[in-house]
Amino acid sequence: MDIKYINPFIGGLLHVSNMLGFGGMQRTGISKRDKLQTDHDVNIIIGLVGGLRGNIVFSMHEATACNIASTMMGGMPVSQFDMLPRSALCEMANMIAGNSVSNLEQMGSLVDITPPTLVSGKNMVSLISQVETLVVQFNAKEGAVELNIAIED
Amino acid sequence: MSTSHIAPFIKCSVNILKDMLGLEVKSGATENEGDAFTSRGFSVIVGFTGGWKGRFFLDMSGETAMQIASILTGEDYSSVADEEVLLSGAEIGNIISGNAITDINNSQPGLNLRLTPPSVFAGDSLSMFNVRLNSSSVLIDTSAGAIKINVAVEEGKK
Repeated sequence: MDIKYINPFIGGLLHVSNMLGFGGMQRTGISKRDKLQTDHDVNIIIGLVGGLRGNIVFSMHEATACNIASTMMGGMPVSQFDMLPRSALCEMANMIAGNSVSNLEQMGSLVDITPPTLVSGKNMVSLISQVETLVVQFNAKEGAVELNIAIED
Repeated sequence: MSTSHIAPFIKCSVNILKDMLGLEVKSGATENEGDAFTSRGFSVIVGFTGGWKGRFFLDMSGETAMQIASILTGEDYSSVADEEVLLSGAEIGNIISGNAITDINNSQPGLNLRLTPPSVFAGDSLSMFNVRLNSSSVLIDTSAGAIKINVAVEEGKK
């Protein structure tokens, strides 16, 4: 995977976080994903087709997901992870992916995205695309968010 | 959403499960699922875009996934967390959706569907949620266990 395709996604996430008013979203690290196990119980997956082919997955803990949904809905308390916060998170993922794709377009790469799907559960194992996955860690007042990027060459 | 979206996926799934994996297959009726469904524990997800946007899910229990992986590789597995089990699931999802999408594109020129690479999720009490997408599913009874096919589609403007 070409490393130049990472920045548009980081930029997209930071821009949308800023727009939605998350508390000081910052990139805290970047690493290769070396295990299948994930201890995050909320995963939102969006597919990429076209100039780039792959998947991006946002993953976080349920508590973080509730906090993010709460911020998106103007501070309304969210205690249960039901349909409303799920829908809010899918919307956030969609916005970030859309933003990232328009960043990619400026680099001359036309990419189409699939609608988001939210997968939640316990003790999860996941395989994202069949390629090496890069993980970018972010941290905000709402909690930690991981962005998994798996793009085929 | 009409059931016409899921029909090519059912046909290809049954063909692949029968011919490639040598399973006995009995197909059930379609049902509307709305925008969420609960997984049996092992789910392969393939997205597609073009004239239709949506997702194809192949959902089964961990045991079924391990049996399918054993048929493909000839080895025995004790855990779904084994990378080869996940890879086998991804491969089957890829083959089925690839065949189905080819059929759809051939019978409806201009739709121009394209696939994303498959992703696999396994775990306890998994639930899937698609925003603004309606899905139908079909439960297929095989000799390796029940396999659910779910197709969620948002019809594009094209």
